[in-house]
Amino acid sequence: MAPQPPLLTMSGITKSFPGVRALDGVDLEVQAGEVHCLLGQNGAGKSTLIKVLAGAHQPDSGEITWRDKHVTLGSPIAAMRLGIATIYQELDLIEGLSVAENVFLGHEPTSAGFVVRGSAARTATAELLKRLGHSEIDPTTLVGDLSAAQQQIVSMARALSHEVRLIVMDEPSAALDPEEVDNLFRIVGDLTADGVSVIYISHRLEEIRRIGDRVTVLKEGRSVAGGLPAETTPTDEVVALMTGRNVEYVFPERPKAGFAAGRDPVLTVEGLTRRGEFAPVDLELRPGEIVGLAGLVGSGRSEILETIYGARKPDGGRVLIDGAPLRPGSVRAAVRAGIGLAPEERKAQGLLMLESVSSNVSISTLSRFARAGWLDRRNERAAAHQAVRELSLRPDNPDAAIRTLSGGNQQKAVLARWLLRGCKVLLLDEPTRGVDIGARAELYAVIRRLADEGLAVLLVSSEVPEVLGLADRVLVLREGSVVHTADARELDEHRVLDLVMEGSLTP
Amino acid sequence: MARTPATSRRSLLFGTAAVSAGALLTACTSNEPTNQEKAADNAAPAADDKPGKPVTIGFAGPQADHGWLNAINDNAKTRAKKYSDVTLEITEGSNDTAQQIGQIQTLINKKVDVLVILPADGKALTQVGLQAMRAGIPVVNLDRVFASPQAYRCWIGGDNYGMGLNAGHYIGEQLKDKKNAKVVELAGLDNLELTQQRTKGFNDALKNYPNIKKVARQAADFTVESGQAKMAQLLQAQSSFDALWNHDDDQGVGALRAIDQAGRDDFLMVGGAGAKSAMDAIKAGNSVLKATVLYPPTMAASAIDLARALGQGKGVGGLAEFEIPTSLTLYSAVVTKDNVDQYLPTGFI
Amino acid sequence: MTQPATAAQKQAPTSAAKSAGDQESSRRPGLRWDVRSLSLLGVLAVLVAVGGITAPDQFLAWSNLQLVLTQASVIGVVTVGMTFVITSGGIDLSVGAMVALASVWATTVATQEFGFAGILFTAVIVGVGCGLVNGLLIAYGRMVPFIATLAMLASARGLALQITDGSTQVVTVGSVLDLGARDAYILGIPPLVLIFAAVTVIGWLLLNRTTFGRRTVAVGGNAEAARLAGIDVRRQRLYLYLLSGLCCGIAAFMLIVLSGSGQNTNGNLYELDAIAAAIIGGTLLSGGRGTIIGSVLGVLVFTTITNIFALNNLETAVQQIAKGAIIVAAVLVQRRSMRGGDA
Repeated sequence: MAPQPPLLTMSGITKSFPGVRALDGVDLEVQAGEVHCLLGQNGAGKSTLIKVLAGAHQPDSGEITWRDKHVTLGSPIAAMRLGIATIYQELDLIEGLSVAENVFLGHEPTSAGFVVRGSAARTATAELLKRLGHSEIDPTTLVGDLSAAQQQIVSMARALSHEVRLIVMDEPSAALDPEEVDNLFRIVGDLTADGVSVIYISHRLEEIRRIGDRVTVLKEGRSVAGGLPAETTPTDEVVALMTGRNVEYVFPERPKAGFAAGRDPVLTVEGLTRRGEFAPVDLELRPGEIVGLAGLVGSGRSEILETIYGARKPDGGRVLIDGAPLRPGSVRAAVRAGIGLAPEERKAQGLLMLESVSSNVSISTLSRFARAGWLDRRNERAAAHQAVRELSLRPDNPDAAIRTLSGGNQQKAVLARWLLRGCKVLLLDEPTRGVDIGARAELYAVIRRLADEGLAVLLVSSEVPEVLGLADRVLVLREGSVVHTADARELDEHRVLDLVMEGSLTP
Repeated sequence: MARTPATSRRSLLFGTAAVSAGALLTACTSNEPTNQEKAADNAAPAADDKPGKPVTIGFAGPQADHGWLNAINDNAKTRAKKYSDVTLEITEGSNDTAQQIGQIQTLINKKVDVLVILPADGKALTQVGLQAMRAGIPVVNLDRVFASPQAYRCWIGGDNYGMGLNAGHYIGEQLKDKKNAKVVELAGLDNLELTQQRTKGFNDALKNYPNIKKVARQAADFTVESGQAKMAQLLQAQSSFDALWNHDDDQGVGALRAIDQAGRDDFLMVGGAGAKSAMDAIKAGNSVLKATVLYPPTMAASAIDLARALGQGKGVGGLAEFEIPTSLTLYSAVVTKDNVDQYLPTGFI
Repeated sequence: MTQPATAAQKQAPTSAAKSAGDQESSRRPGLRWDVRSLSLLGVLAVLVAVGGITAPDQFLAWSNLQLVLTQASVIGVVTVGMTFVITSGGIDLSVGAMVALASVWATTVATQEFGFAGILFTAVIVGVGCGLVNGLLIAYGRMVPFIATLAMLASARGLALQITDGSTQVVTVGSVLDLGARDAYILGIPPLVLIFAAVTVIGWLLLNRTTFGRRTVAVGGNAEAARLAGIDVRRQRLYLYLLSGLCCGIAAFMLIVLSGSGQNTNGNLYELDAIAAAIIGGTLLSGGRGTIIGSVLGVLVFTTITNIFALNNLETAVQQIAKGAIIVAAVLVQRRSMRGGDA
């Protein structure tokens, strides 16, 4: 970093919403051509900050300097004109339009000012995609038909379709496989080599170490540290800055190996299969056991969970609870038999976002609190309260609106639902997605405790350390088939990654 | 209401076979000879009941979703059946302009001899009327007038302005000795020009009676439900008045219900259009309804007569001319207890 | 209402202290409901003031209150059913047509031979039957509610027209007519208003106090989450459209009583009136939140507006303009007071 003036300086930025002070004095300085990482727990103000930078929010006070000039980012268009592009975590693509139409939405190449030149847009899009290493994406495909990872690439192509100097990426790796993450990093490298700056937001410290130049840490709407060297700042220091505590991954202690061997399996999966998704799977799950499914996105792990749960209808095989087969393809049969699912998309599949914690917890147990359809709401609320207390959900208030809770506490509400129902088998799909580092350890402890109390847990996670750290046994999946089964203690991250990518252990 | 038993379809729908099948709306029309059927004395060949040259008449009307329109269709059908020399090609009624145009074009292609058209919208169907005329098919334009006189050979229809005028005159005469008399108007659908014409005629007539003042006007929308609702509000708004003119007897069923519910009988009511239920009430004389101003659906029967005369190249009896007139505006008679028996057969259900 | 409130108060000291700094607004959603309904009550109060000033003698009369409530009762019952459907994330465009079909089927000569019971039974059965068809198409035929109920709208209106041939079917059954007569009071209240009140109370209890209501909200709030939580979403949807049909059947009977007749034009544009009342009442068009009290207040606001206009003898054109303006104003006022409630 030569002592040239910074590309972007933000100083003393504040922003309040009714009832919340989202930003309370943030300083940020980004040099040309650097990857500047933004770290902070959920609610620390990262999203608000990048929306200010994108022109979507107006700050209440503070100054923004862009290449030595004071600027006001009055609208998203104003930010784009300066050369600031933002790739949001929740992709803002229009599924019913083609790739090229999305990329050039709002600045279509035109003849006579209004006739869209589709071919020009397609050609330009194809070039952008090639530059991004994804020439296999056809510019005429509808975005809705693409995978999440491909959509991410389209989002990035859209950012690059402008004259950009700064790209903001909000958790770009969240939906990506390791291979795709590598590609993403290559793109980021190319961009910075061209002098483009990147503001990179991620929960994954190891990524930040790999590609970041400098780090700014946000906590409770304030920048608590700026310009830390990304590679050399010790993890515990970063975590301490973010949380005020000194922890990263802390996994609870496992019971002794083989502890569950003598017990009868509670869940038995025999030859369960769905054409095009996963090959026949056999699986036994004993009370007290946590079994992990490791694999890439698209390896069939979520599909297996959802098929066991009856949310997808199998093409073959069966699922037994305590030796009794379940009616295939029926969620209600699975729930009645004692299976619970914490789905991958918590907000879209798990929660009633307009409702209270109590309503969300009791939803699978309503009839227990009803006589002739009549709800005993006091009883319902008290039971829900006890369930969330056992998981130390905060705030300790069953009437709180679920949408005001952090990701970790929302996940606890989903767990509390099945705890209240008294299920025997818990299926967890990406239980810590969107949960910040500090809260993960607590969630891990909760999951282990539930297992210790006799629950059988089947865990899916795209974070290999999480599967290895939490599970007792691990099934490694590759392209819809189980390629390896082992005690978690016998595996390490490298071996698992080799398995999922190569299908066998490299010597 | 004293009406014919339900049709077989109706009873089938309800799943009972208790009610025997009956003819469609037999009470409705119209085997009574009207004036124009009587042969004239002069030399012009006038249409009469005697079979003549066979004529195919195409008939296109709007959807019969209202008692009056239903009566139009029935009048046309019954009239045509009466003549052994007339074949009636009747289309499925439609309120959709495009659909009605299509139906009329089909009739043109079938080369019917004469067309009788009651357009869903007179202005919008002018072009297709012109097409027919150019193709050499005379058009009898029924009630809702085309924008161009070239689009029809003969127009026959009711007189909305005259309806209001006659209602106003009747009320004026009834109240002429009363000081500071108050009148209330329950109009039809305000979006329609005919409603405005009726109101204008009513207002113009009342100008002749300085002792009468129109104190309130509300518009319903030709439905029983709206008639009840709007009338209930009017009765609440006006604690006393002397006369009410209601534009439409269908909504009048609701209005009478509201009047009954409010327990009011301190005024006289005049209806409009000439529904059978209204005429029954006038004849019985036990309600506030004392008269109704006709907007006769028999005009459809007359239109068939005119079409037949056109097809056979004859004039109408009772007139000296060789040809039938280009325009016939019907008189909106006031039906009261004194003359109700004469009109009762034309009352529609 | 009171029991959970006291339970919440017991809980208040600890939870309030903990949650205060925790997150933006973890206050109970119940509070927001009150703000909503209060703002609509405010609109109603303004309307009453306007009515009282512009037409003091007629508007403030006891007879006028009866009139307004009676006129509101038919569409009010329809709106209660509609509120459930919208809360579940659906829509029922066929309500007006179902009212029309039920009212004409229940007033055919054949039906009238069975007297009071025949008319009531037929109206309700026809409503429930149409609702059943809607529900089966939507829940098990996987049709979009908008399309399924639009199809029902067209065919039910068509069938109503076919039954009547466009004519008005006058009711001759005395006991039915008596129910809507001037002196018909039950406990000092006009019977139609009493039915409306009963449907409102039952609707409120059903939505707020039963598993059925909770499942309705869950399906509307997040159908996928509800399914994965083990709720039979399809069956719930079926029941909801059945409920809407039932309400339409009851409303059809009420309309027969009120107008003394059945006509195929009955229930004209009820779908829009009911949706508008539910929405200005505070039910989310996207589902997941519904309020019976709000819907009923919405209906009362509309009926009161119509009443004031009629009492002041305003033209139709002016009425329509003002009605549109008042809808916008009511929603704006509501949104403002809601934002105030959020802060």
